[in-house]
Amino acid sequence: MKREIPILLTVLSGLAIIWSFFSSYPVADAANTELLQWALIFFSVAFILGIANLVRVSLKQISSGHSDSIYKIVLLVVLFGYLFIGLAEHHEWFGASSLGGEGSVTVKDWVYSKMFIPLQATMFSLLAFFIASATFRAFRARSLESTLLLVAGTIVMLGQVPLGEEITGGYAPRWLGFLMVYINAAGQKAIIIGATLGVLATGLRIVLGIERSYLSE
Amino acid sequence: MAAIQDFDRRWIFLVMGVLVTTLYALGIAKELTRSEYVDSYYATIEALPEGSVVMLSADFDPASAAELLPAYTATIHHLLKRRLKVINVATWPAAPPYTRGEFNQIAPLYDAVYGEAWVSMGFLPGDDVAMGNIGQSMRSAFPEDDVTDTPYDELPILADVGDNMEGIDLLITMSAGYPGILEWIAQVGGRYDVPILAATTAVQTPDLFAFYPTQCVGFLGAATGATRYLQLVDELTEGAVEEPKLKNQKRMMVQSWAHMFMIALIVIGNVIYFMGRSRERRATA
Repeated sequence: MKREIPILLTVLSGLAIIWSFFSSYPVADAANTELLQWALIFFSVAFILGIANLVRVSLKQISSGHSDSIYKIVLLVVLFGYLFIGLAEHHEWFGASSLGGEGSVTVKDWVYSKMFIPLQATMFSLLAFFIASATFRAFRARSLESTLLLVAGTIVMLGQVPLGEEITGGYAPRWLGFLMVYINAAGQKAIIIGATLGVLATGLRIVLGIERSYLSE
Repeated sequence: MAAIQDFDRRWIFLVMGVLVTTLYALGIAKELTRSEYVDSYYATIEALPEGSVVMLSADFDPASAAELLPAYTATIHHLLKRRLKVINVATWPAAPPYTRGEFNQIAPLYDAVYGEAWVSMGFLPGDDVAMGNIGQSMRSAFPEDDVTDTPYDELPILADVGDNMEGIDLLITMSAGYPGILEWIAQVGGRYDVPILAATTAVQTPDLFAFYPTQCVGFLGAATGATRYLQLVDELTEGAVEEPKLKNQKRMMVQSWAHMFMIALIVIGNVIYFMGRSRERRATA
């Protein structure tokens, strides 16, 4: 039964979803909506499980005196501190909070805009430096394929910016357009169709109970 | 080859840093030429009758805000200027603060009242499953709004919005990756026949050419697309987005020179590579 019940649930859920795609019966829509709701609840529970796991791993490292302990402490303080601020503000535990200013900024929004946004933006901005270094070290015309990649990359970089358009007399965006609309789109479509057929086949195997790897079999 | 591998890459970092900061400080701005994809994005919104309902999905976070936030700002201005009703949703957890921040600043300019002209439904976890749920039943996906916790049935803007995307005239996504435009097309666009527009990051833009103009009727590709769109919206709103437009035009010039620097690095790297190779051949001959 440990195996049969999960398979039965998978088959029934899969068939109900497929049925709702092709049927105009209200009961099919209702079943689909209900199943999607369940899926969302599972996703939300996964967040809690994720937090629990993070806390478990972090506490283990802190108690064993790991060299990263200080970062784990910061992580836990920020995690629960921000969670507390969010809950306190939402439920007005200490009355309505506001830092004032335009649109009455809350503490939660202030932390988000003054700490989270700059930190994440900084991390992403570092890419510019690493990409520049990578172009110098790795972009080599070693073979026909790598030469094509190199030429395509250069055209894309020229065609995307106003200066590239200017120095090529307006040709770079046209070359870019040709690359994107004909070569890239054709390749993308082939990949998408192939991948979709693969997903369809795998989905059918799961729904029909043939594929059971999700049961660790 | 050894010369390239041994080269201290901090010199590249330094030149890139100096180049970007100097150009940004100089503040050179340039008007960008128009593009078919951006024009299509703009025209699709323009074609909607006043009072139409648009679902605007914020599917991004601060890491991609430099590319997508200007497009988001311009889109909000455009929608509210045209007196279209905007339902905000988010499938990325870090996106709703942007919605609140932008609308708090922009909505008063157009006398857009919360709950009537725009509403924020907040973040829904579940990625493409969440998108499927929004398409199937807005009411079950969002029983109440995100800002005032008002029940779905008490929000005037949602009075004509039913299941299966009924009452939604257009879907716009600010897409930074997964989940984003491709999942909206799969879960909602194809199934409910709702036209979709997208603003995307540079990385995701090539994916969209395979879907344009059928499944995605227009798109703003990266910062370039956003800048072109800001120019159009600035003209429409008579200067309401002048500041972000100028900022983006300056950024495009900075980006231009950064690209030129990278092309120069490719050329130099290859020259060194081929010189080294011919030297090796001569030595072995």
